[in-house]
Amino acid sequence: MIKMKSFLMAFIVLLSAILSGCSLPGLAGAGKNSIAVGTMGTSESQIMGNVVRLMIEHYTDAKVEMVNNLGSSIVQHQAMMNGDVDITATRYTGTDLAGALGMEPVKDPKEALEIVQREFEKQFDQTWFDSYGFANSYAFTVKKEMAEKENLETVSDLEPLVDDLKLGVDNAWLKRKGDGYEGFVKEYGFEFGKTFPMQIGLVYQAAADGKMDVVLAYTTDGRIKAFDLKVLEDDKHFFPPYDTSLVARNDLLEKHPELRGILQKLSGKISTEKMQELNYEADGKMKEPAIVAEEFLKENNYFEEE
Amino acid sequence: MDTIMDILNYYSNNGAYVWEQFYRHFLMSAYGVLFAAIVAIPLGILIARYRKLSGWVISLANIIQTIPALAMLAVLMLVMGLGTNTVVFSLFLYSLLPIIKNTYTGILNVEQALLESGKAMGMTKFQVLTMVELPLAMSVIMAGLRTALVITIGVATIGTFIGAGGLGDIILRGTNATDGTAIILAGAIPTALMAVIADIAMGWIEKKLSPNKTSKQAIQQQTTAA
Repeated sequence: MIKMKSFLMAFIVLLSAILSGCSLPGLAGAGKNSIAVGTMGTSESQIMGNVVRLMIEHYTDAKVEMVNNLGSSIVQHQAMMNGDVDITATRYTGTDLAGALGMEPVKDPKEALEIVQREFEKQFDQTWFDSYGFANSYAFTVKKEMAEKENLETVSDLEPLVDDLKLGVDNAWLKRKGDGYEGFVKEYGFEFGKTFPMQIGLVYQAAADGKMDVVLAYTTDGRIKAFDLKVLEDDKHFFPPYDTSLVARNDLLEKHPELRGILQKLSGKISTEKMQELNYEADGKMKEPAIVAEEFLKENNYFEEE
Repeated sequence: MDTIMDILNYYSNNGAYVWEQFYRHFLMSAYGVLFAAIVAIPLGILIARYRKLSGWVISLANIIQTIPALAMLAVLMLVMGLGTNTVVFSLFLYSLLPIIKNTYTGILNVEQALLESGKAMGMTKFQVLTMVELPLAMSVIMAGLRTALVITIGVATIGTFIGAGGLGDIILRGTNATDGTAIILAGAIPTALMAVIADIAMGWIEKKLSPNKTSKQAIQQQTTAA
């Protein structure tokens, strides 16, 4: 009976350790002493999450824990508000303007960034960092050969050809209000000859094979680079900006004041083309995001020269 | 064939990462079973003593077992937040039933005659428990731990949905990638392998602890000594 009591005591101690948020040996949980970085399920998000983790580990002794596969931007936001994660690695201005802040879309990228930076500070006590330098938005994309032949640079350049063009787009986009097809026709003043709704993952291959002339792609997808496609500039700024930044809780930045400077090193360092490349490393060459991130940072010497 | 090459290619690129997730996955499962053992073995002994309680305790553990893993994780996440601790706790809950049941059965199956001879030798109740009942029931209890460990290795895969990492992370990433067949397999194969190895290893321990074997050895030792 004595043995049972001591068993029970040991259990209660362990259980309270778990519930109070301490981490078990060998399993650094998202405990009080470690920094938790949240990411979504996409390769892009996980690569950037690991970049953030490796930067913090490189410059400080803090323990960093990854919380992967958060379902959406809203889930990321809630995890930040609950304190389950301290940093979210990829937040997009357009998404969070509409999602977390519930505001109208803003077309100017700079203004959008200013608004989210100001509002996140004020409403949520969180710091929205300057953009990494890439934006993951919708973009009209064509085969490079065609762009060269027809001299295409911007979406407006498509207008003279448009009646003969086949457009492949995401299922949802055709019927979407605001920045959907209807809005597009109003803004640019022309319609495509034929539109084909398809799954977003298939549009890249369709464009590369010439089955579609123009497709609506995600700008940072690695297949744009791999399949030699060209992104046309959205010259009328029809799509809201989706500049990508990391967001951190202010209490974390107060506890570790050095983090602000370390994380700011990443601002403006990754262009959309670079992100396409990194995404392709993960999706096309089947490297894990953690490995891609490490190689990227080693290549750039962890941005130490600054 | 291509897929096999892709998988090998994946391992050569990401070996360290896979090993890290493998280790993490195993630790989560092992902690879940360990904590469950700490609670469930004494509880099993208790309900073997007070058999009126057994119906209640076992049906409660049964109910826990029937909750789908994803639902369990989601509900626990609301209370405990994201991360490994939530997963370990849900694995703990899933491990309770097999361990409680096996401990209960193991203790009840000890022959009455042996208990009485223990008592006749002047053993206290505690001595009967530790020197007669537990050693004889040990292999059955180990079988419970074995079942529990295999279950938890499977369930831990779902932990990826609440950000706990483990091999489930690799599988889920495969479902998101352009052509993820190889990545999915690269995560699923080690998971299955871990379960099989755990089963074999625990089976071996179970056999080692089996009272029949030890008594045979004891007899052999006696005969050789004589």
